[in-house]
Amino acid sequence: MSQNPSGQPLIALEGVYRTFRQGRERVPVLQDINLAVGENEIVCLVGESGCGKTTTGRIMVDLLEPSAGTVLYKGRPLAALRGKDKVEQRRALQIIHQDPFASLNPSHTVGQILSFPLKRHRMAQGRGGVRRRIWELLTLVDLTPPGDLVNKYPHQLSGGQRQRVSIARALTVEPKLIVADEAVSMVDVSIRVSLLKMLHGLRDQLGVAIVFITHDLALAKYFAWEGRIAVMYLGRIVEIGPTPDVIANPAHPYTRALISAIPEADPEVTRNKQRMILRSEDIPRLTDIPPGCAFHPRCPFFVPGLCDARVPPLERAGGFAQSVACLPLTEGLGLREHVSVEEPVVGP
Amino acid sequence: MDFQSVASSTGFVIGALCGLVPLAVAIRKRTLRPGIVGFLACVLSGFACNVWGGLPMIVLTVAVVVSYTYTDKEDPFLSRARLEEVNFEETLGAMVTRRLASLGRAIRAGTRALLRNKAGFLGFVGLAFFFVLTIFGPMLIEYDGKSHYYDRREPGAISLFQGPSREFPLGLDWQGRDILSHIVHGGRALIVTAVQAGALTTVIAVILGASAALLGGFLDRLLNAVANFILTIPQFPLLVVLAGLISFQDRFYLALLLAVLDWPSLMRAVRAQVLSLRERDYVEAAVVLDLGLPHIMLREVLPQMVSYISINMIFSIQGAMYAIVGLVFLGMVPFNEPDWGVMIFMGRSQGALFSSSAASMLLSPVIAVALFQLSLVLFTRSLEEVFNPRLRTGL
Repeated sequence: MSQNPSGQPLIALEGVYRTFRQGRERVPVLQDINLAVGENEIVCLVGESGCGKTTTGRIMVDLLEPSAGTVLYKGRPLAALRGKDKVEQRRALQIIHQDPFASLNPSHTVGQILSFPLKRHRMAQGRGGVRRRIWELLTLVDLTPPGDLVNKYPHQLSGGQRQRVSIARALTVEPKLIVADEAVSMVDVSIRVSLLKMLHGLRDQLGVAIVFITHDLALAKYFAWEGRIAVMYLGRIVEIGPTPDVIANPAHPYTRALISAIPEADPEVTRNKQRMILRSEDIPRLTDIPPGCAFHPRCPFFVPGLCDARVPPLERAGGFAQSVACLPLTEGLGLREHVSVEEPVVGP
Repeated sequence: MDFQSVASSTGFVIGALCGLVPLAVAIRKRTLRPGIVGFLACVLSGFACNVWGGLPMIVLTVAVVVSYTYTDKEDPFLSRARLEEVNFEETLGAMVTRRLASLGRAIRAGTRALLRNKAGFLGFVGLAFFFVLTIFGPMLIEYDGKSHYYDRREPGAISLFQGPSREFPLGLDWQGRDILSHIVHGGRALIVTAVQAGALTTVIAVILGASAALLGGFLDRLLNAVANFILTIPQFPLLVVLAGLISFQDRFYLALLLAVLDWPSLMRAVRAQVLSLRERDYVEAAVVLDLGLPHIMLREVLPQMVSYISINMIFSIQGAMYAIVGLVFLGMVPFNEPDWGVMIFMGRSQGALFSSSAASMLLSPVIAVALFQLSLVLFTRSLEEVFNPRLRTGL
């Protein structure tokens, strides 16, 4: 993990829990999340819907407060920041929303949308400064010629253009970290790659760190090849490590299942590919998370008496470069197919 | 107040001087026609409404003319140039011109939206008619209060309740006075009070609704309880009782009372809207960008509600007008002649119902009120088009 001169990661979640209230029930959405992002780093959060990736992202940019645990910005807890430091932290952490149709105010033109933060934070000097900066930002996100777009309203733009505008808006305040929350999932497939390339380019050019939230492991593999991937399942990180290692040598059974489900471009390969068969297709409800490892009811490598007894810690396992939360691996037992198709009969 | 005292030679001179701005801009850009139109508009508005009354008119005229003459080449924001080709440094004069031009473009877009909906445009024309009638009418038609030109009428009782004639298009009332002059002079107080009441209602409702939604907790519960309480009270009987207890020599207090009774329904709607709007992604983005609460309220949330709020303001103006006319008709508010409501009251109490030649005495104010209300309601159709950028600008 790359670190800044002070030795502290840009943003660090330490033992973060988050519960939401649903009527009388308390729904644990995040449990014991530990994740640090350094400067100019790329981290991908991957997982199926409802696993808490978006909540993690929102906690990172201080839109939500954790129910327990702390969020550190450059080593200092977010809740303790005041005045100038708070403003700096706000500006440093930006988010790009999933839905480009909802993230831009329909009553402002593109120029206005970009000018508000520029003026508020005095990010440009002189009479023409704000206008020059808007022009530069639009060029930066490949919206050229900018003169065509600056006086347009969001409803006059395509989804891809809107997403670029909301990226430009995040860039107005010169952030250190951008959380891209499924930023390309609602954009046409044809535009996706160019958007991803642009985001990548921004990281190289401006040195921002990017937390890329997606449900698509193939996309994560493409985007975060130089960074890390964190795989989430039911509110916990189950595996985290450098992308090439996680993709080539997945440790956690859930990651293995996800990777075996990625279709390959070659139909021959796809047809002959060994798909991992889960014991159950149903995702447990968040209000009713299984004891021990939350994945054990679906896991083909389930070890009775171990996996359902205690919550696996996220640790390095032998033979892997990444950390993984799987007791059979971290205890050095290895993974063996759980043979009994029926549930083990308990009792006399 | 006659025409001479309002239209002044100073206004004429200053209007002409202001008119030179669009003229000069237009001549420099070699587009003479809008320049001349702009010049004339400035002169006229300066002349008719005096300098201060005409000032907004003059500014709007200048802006529109400038927007016509200000070609795309001047403004980098409208050009197709690349970043390197654009010069962003501009003189103060250029900036003022650019701002004027963008204001003018906005006005033109708004006007176009206003004209697009036929019903709404009809309402706009109606409102403009009543505006001219109550502002300029009194300058042209003398108020026939003391019957001081009796000499033009038949002597004696014949001139009471006279039907329409060439000389008196709407006939004469129960005292032999010109009804037309009463219609022209009698609208202003009523309309002003109704607009005051509507505006006050809206201000109270928006402020209370927004704070209930944003601050929540005890204040929210309290305001909701008060709103529910007021909503359950039958409004008009209460108004009648209160009007009997309080003396409304100053009509503003009547407007205030109407507003105090009328805010709850709009407040609840505003509260609901703010509650839903504050969850939007773009509001979240504004929070993350640290744009501050005033910006979020005024620039992110409020514009989404403007059309809804203004339409509701018009409905509360409408309600207030009916309430005032009703109170006057019942005789619960001190009479101030001339007034449409007083005309209806007097017409009924003096027996205009029983004479066909006196129909005008009752019908004229009733139709005036009804037409004004109809214009208001039709005009709401256009408001949505004006305030919604999606409808205003098209694709």
